[in-house]
Amino acid sequence: MAKYYDVDDILAEEELVPAVFQHAANGIGLFDSSDDTNKVEAGSKVELPFWLVCELYLRQLVSIRVPPCFDKESKTREEIGADAAHVDLRSRCPYFYELGCKIAPLIGDKTIGPFLLVAFRIRYKEVLIKAHTLTLTVAPKYLTLLTNEEAKLYEAGQSSIAAFKKWRMGGPRLQIAPLLGRKRKPTG
Amino acid sequence: MAASSDSQASAFSAAELEFLAEDEMIEIVPNMRMDSLNFVSGDFGPFRPQIATQVPLWLAVALKKRGKCMIRPPEWMSIEKLTQVLEAERDSEKFQPLPFHYVEISRLLFDYAREDIQDVYMVRSLIEDIKDVRFHKIGTGLEIISRERTYALRLKNLSAMEANIVRPFVTRALETFYKLSSPEMIQESDHLSNRQPQVTNRGPRRQLKDR
Repeated sequence: MAKYYDVDDILAEEELVPAVFQHAANGIGLFDSSDDTNKVEAGSKVELPFWLVCELYLRQLVSIRVPPCFDKESKTREEIGADAAHVDLRSRCPYFYELGCKIAPLIGDKTIGPFLLVAFRIRYKEVLIKAHTLTLTVAPKYLTLLTNEEAKLYEAGQSSIAAFKKWRMGGPRLQIAPLLGRKRKPTG
Repeated sequence: MAASSDSQASAFSAAELEFLAEDEMIEIVPNMRMDSLNFVSGDFGPFRPQIATQVPLWLAVALKKRGKCMIRPPEWMSIEKLTQVLEAERDSEKFQPLPFHYVEISRLLFDYAREDIQDVYMVRSLIEDIKDVRFHKIGTGLEIISRERTYALRLKNLSAMEANIVRPFVTRALETFYKLSSPEMIQESDHLSNRQPQVTNRGPRRQLKDR
């Protein structure tokens, strides 16, 4: 809720988080589609968006399980430890850092913070190199590995370089408005 | 969104920087006779044939376009100076002092006053080389942000254009690093740093280039 007008912040809260219902609840069968009784049993596992889990958790209706991309025993941690720069984080969680920042204080997992920092540190270097060297034709393939935050960083670097190159190449300094110059059709 | 649009808005476009660079003073040798010009920014002139005078770059370019003067390239644009700078730039880790708007000024002069610069091709390729060396240094220098906690970067002798190019990238990166290494994310992982008073310790300020 920190940034009300931030679209990315809102979208980050849409990410699904696994949770376990502590109490049985009626009328919300759509969360747990396995039965038709329109109720959720205590102890059933569901995946809910973060904003909902957060509220339910504060009311002690559900318990949160750590999402697979942050879990201590998960593959993601091992892969980040091995070669962080080439892990496809986008497919795991496009809002990796944002969600991590939100979920860590909520569940009180102190290992998530350092884990995120290490991951970003190593991946930052890769983005730095790529952003200032890659040509536009190679870029899209690499971009699919980046999370939202990293992709924006990459674009910030890339676009300023591109703008500079364009300026240096020159071209017309004064641009003619497209409206001008076609008042009359050329005759012959 | 708010943060990202802010960092975008703070950046100038290259053309805007060129506009700012046009306020730099430069020496011209007029070939016409004219009284001094009184502008808000100051009085320039009077203009007498073959008597050198200082004017802003925009005025010099305007006069040059009309064939009313010859522009004297600034001292740092001589081959000897540039060769020195290039060598020093290659040898040293630090950035060499150059005019704040050297990229823009050199481009304006190459565009409008080619015939007034001696050995224009040589000068041009020297400046290109210097620029490339410096850009490469910036690229490698920025890696240090990731090494340790960094809250600020000191950009000594960085020119306007260079600073402007890295600005969006660096501000974003620093923001994210700051967010991820904020005390609430990295709590109690190291007890020592927590004991220190938080207010006084604003973290190290890094040189863009470690010595």
